[in-house]
Amino acid sequence: MKIAISENSKIKLINILLVLIFSIYGVSKKSFKHDEVSTFQSVMMEVFAPLQQGTMSLKERVDYVFTHYFFLIETSKKNQILKKKIQELENAIFQFEEVQKENERLKELLKFGEDIPREKVLAQVVGWDSSNEFKVLRINKGKKDGIKLKSPVITINGLVGYVYRLSNNYSDILTILDQNNRVDSIVSRTRSHGIIEGLANFKARLKYVVRTEPVEIGDMVITAGLGNIYPKGIKVGKITNIEKESYGLTQSIEITPTVDFHRLEEVVVLIAREEEQKE
Amino acid sequence: MNQYKLKELVLSFLYTCILLVVLEVFSATFLPSVGLSSYILSFHILVVLFIGFRVQTIYQPYLILMVELIHSVFTIEGWAIGTLAGIIVTSLISYLKDMIQLNSRLSTIIVVQIFQVIWFVLVSSLISIKLGDFSYILTRFWRFLPESFLLSLISPFFFIVLMKFWGTKKSLKGVRI
Repeated sequence: MKIAISENSKIKLINILLVLIFSIYGVSKKSFKHDEVSTFQSVMMEVFAPLQQGTMSLKERVDYVFTHYFFLIETSKKNQILKKKIQELENAIFQFEEVQKENERLKELLKFGEDIPREKVLAQVVGWDSSNEFKVLRINKGKKDGIKLKSPVITINGLVGYVYRLSNNYSDILTILDQNNRVDSIVSRTRSHGIIEGLANFKARLKYVVRTEPVEIGDMVITAGLGNIYPKGIKVGKITNIEKESYGLTQSIEITPTVDFHRLEEVVVLIAREEEQKE
Repeated sequence: MNQYKLKELVLSFLYTCILLVVLEVFSATFLPSVGLSSYILSFHILVVLFIGFRVQTIYQPYLILMVELIHSVFTIEGWAIGTLAGIIVTSLISYLKDMIQLNSRLSTIIVVQIFQVIWFVLVSSLISIKLGDFSYILTRFWRFLPESFLLSLISPFFFIVLMKFWGTKKSLKGVRI
């Protein structure tokens, strides 16, 4: 079967129009607040997300090999028997320390959420959004683990975001760095109310704070508990810049999130109980 | 004008999709895992541009739709905005084809950069219209610039790989149409 474009320009035009109409419909239906995945997307996520998880483990293994290579260089100066023993011990210590560090991190994470009356699911970050428009990360827990749409996600350092879409084993988290994520917040010291939105360069901004409010650089901003997504009192970030124009009702406040998104490895998903969700 | 048998088209596209998945994983997982999470390389744009420049078939819109569906697995941007932008950009390419000469690496880099800017304007405008907020376009633009420059620099080599998938024997110096 030969496809000759010149003879089929009408068909091509019809195809273009069909896809164009389909995509315009898709754009009109698109929501940046939360998303129900289609069967196709769910299947594809299930197929490709393990690749992402595998890439993360491969990277960790490469790190591990590099570390041990350098250990070998260090110990090669010693005699063969000691070298072998030292290598074994160092291997064991290294692995033990890694496990211990992970245990401590996970324990702290779980302990951190003790006072929040929600079910908690620990998850590992396996990837970031592949578009520069959005600040979204993917975790290795999904519907099967009891995660629900719009569940808040935290770490010991503070708020990460909420569950935007999920498949059976993976979820995408819309982080507080994304401009589509709006967090109802208060400045802890002054109780000034505002809305946090994502900004460029891993920062966020606090909007709608009346310019007469005496907020200062270094003030901690926490969740207000309004908006039915985030529980009250979770740390969001610190004020790092304030700009007061000579006009206008509000002030422009820059927030540096308390969570270090560059080093995010594990997170906790808070799942509301059934009765809480109904409310 | 290129002519593809349906089997050739499906096979070539399959290889392209596999490459796209590998690059999406690289961009969405590997780069952030080594600390490069500020900048993301949008390889799907290069694939769509290549389809626009090189793959002239009545199925072109469906190929673009498939590329964006695969991309949507790795981003919450979804398939629709990219498809819309892709269709507009490839239509533009087909209208300007006589004016575009991709016969050297430099011209390929420049043309790809221009079409990336058009893509950015289309996608950002659509997102801003959806959000009802245009204030982020400029901020996004400064992040888009280094990413797009890097993609444009890669594009001649990337297109050479794709040309192998799509069974071309033409010059390796650029993408000749």
